[in-house]
Amino acid sequence: MSYESPIREPLVTGGKTAADVSNDICRPLENKPTKLWWLGFGLALICLGILVYTLALSSFIGLGTWGINKTVGWAWDITNFVFWVGIGHAGTLISAILLLFRQKWRMSINRSAEAMTIFAVMCAAIFPLFHMGRVWIGPVWALPLPNALGSLWVNFNSPLLWDVFAISTYFSVSLLFWYLGMIPDLATIRDRATTPIRKFMYRFFSMGWDGSVRTWARYEVVSLILAGISTPLVLSVHTIVSMDFATSVIPGWHTTIFPPYFVAGAIFSGFGMVLTLLVIARKVLKLEAYITIGHLDAMCRVILLTGSMVGLAYITEFFIAWYSGVEYERYAFLNRMSGPYWWAYWSMMTCNVISPQLFWVKKWRRNPNFIFFMSIVVNIGMWFERFVIIVTSLHRDYLPSSWVMYSPTWVEIGIFIGTFGLFFTCFFLFARYLPVINMSEVKSILPSKSHANENEHAHQPEVVTQ
Amino acid sequence: MASKNKKFIYGIFDDADAVMHSVEKLRKQGVDIHDCYTPFPVHGLDRAMGIRRSNLTVGAFICGAIGCITAIVFQLYVMVGDWPMIIGGKPEDGYYPSFIPVTFELTILFTAFGMGILFFIRTKMVHGKVEQLVDLRQTDDLFVVAIEEKAHNFDKEAVNRTFVEEGALEIREREYDK
Repeated sequence: MSYESPIREPLVTGGKTAADVSNDICRPLENKPTKLWWLGFGLALICLGILVYTLALSSFIGLGTWGINKTVGWAWDITNFVFWVGIGHAGTLISAILLLFRQKWRMSINRSAEAMTIFAVMCAAIFPLFHMGRVWIGPVWALPLPNALGSLWVNFNSPLLWDVFAISTYFSVSLLFWYLGMIPDLATIRDRATTPIRKFMYRFFSMGWDGSVRTWARYEVVSLILAGISTPLVLSVHTIVSMDFATSVIPGWHTTIFPPYFVAGAIFSGFGMVLTLLVIARKVLKLEAYITIGHLDAMCRVILLTGSMVGLAYITEFFIAWYSGVEYERYAFLNRMSGPYWWAYWSMMTCNVISPQLFWVKKWRRNPNFIFFMSIVVNIGMWFERFVIIVTSLHRDYLPSSWVMYSPTWVEIGIFIGTFGLFFTCFFLFARYLPVINMSEVKSILPSKSHANENEHAHQPEVVTQ
Repeated sequence: MASKNKKFIYGIFDDADAVMHSVEKLRKQGVDIHDCYTPFPVHGLDRAMGIRRSNLTVGAFICGAIGCITAIVFQLYVMVGDWPMIIGGKPEDGYYPSFIPVTFELTILFTAFGMGILFFIRTKMVHGKVEQLVDLRQTDDLFVVAIEEKAHNFDKEAVNRTFVEEGALEIREREYDK
């Protein structure tokens, strides 16, 4: 049993019982989908169609359909890759790091955040795979197999190969973590199922779960270890993504601050996307009692913290560029701020550095409409951050004769919109067929029956069994 | 064949604290608890039942170590043994710092999946396995304490009395073949 301080807001409001939790969270799965769901799902499918079409063009015609050129060889695609990988950082962060820190508010948001992680990493993977050109053989080159590309094997000194290992490990471990966490809830749905198909499907995936304490005891050990290894994993993934840039010798990329700066940025953007989704989901799925204003507030504080860290990193980068005395480095940063892409730079600064500071105001942190607006601003800002880092560092090459501008073609824009289609298609299916909140964990933080009765009489601080 | 049958007595509760108390009481009477079924992890119940801490952590460590060694050996084989490459003018046997990321990732990958597989083996969980439930609501909001009739110091009366005292909703008996 743990003691919950009376000054803390309750994590679940409305005096819910364990049965209420099952009913509330299974309701969207057990009823027919609403018109709103069909509308959203339809829109997502249309965007997914755009993805398929634009990717087909990129494969059959080739990368000539993209706006990249000799000087700016990495552009929209890698920007979007880093954007999606960054979004994919909140889920495992919430479930792993907050589990280690015993933050119980994670319990009603970890499931959907983990789902988001998995879908975002899927979207991210599309970009480098298709940027390799011949997607039907490209992925094979990334595997550590003997090949005919100059050297016999893949190059283990290359950060791009580290990235292959990092992203695939992150994806598969996140998937395992997500699935393991869902097994008890799948069993709950199985035992409520009324149709044979539902019974069969949920039985298949719940692996005979019966809630035995012997299984729970092992399950808790597995969760703890998974959280313990996922925590450095989350940090390592974006560290390695940043090394794609930091280990090169391009002015503007060649900085040691990149790993922590990218990790903070990833958490920042990840929480931005979690808020975008959850502010809507809690309303549509009527989960306000579980994802309370307190939860939104807590996430806004994380955004405030990581936003400030990102801001500090921008300023440090600038200072070091000046302090290093390297003229190329100085020019790269001046060019970011006042060159032809100044609008991208200042969008990034406004969205990422100035706007999160508004979350110092408690009233705004607790206003869902404002939070939703801000989460979109954060997403836009973080997209611009990657665009600024990649395109503005490359477009003014060492030789002025190589200086070019980059702008995306409609195919590239289509792929980007399409990945949103993939993301939301997956998310709508998830919200339709799987429990969006971890029921068993939420039940464990409800006051137990005997204590709930005591509290009614005494108005004493809640004692929560766990 | 009657002697081969397993007989169980189940106390069904709707309160985690009551389960905890009855398990503690029964253990004091010297009765072995076969198992409990709960819709969520009730912390401390495993210790109250006398379950030892799982050894899965040791398994996880071994899996991680295998992953770590695999990564190091493979990278050395590729980059130093089989097809040495000079990259950036660095000596061909001095690549070790750049092996760290892949070694780290493979350690994590092997730990996670090794431990996951060990967990499923140890708990005999497999896709499509048909569950054996005492009550359909044990995965929703009910708690079950299961005691085998052959258990050490088993006294039906005493067990029943404990269940009733702790406020069991229902007490059931069931016999299984095998």
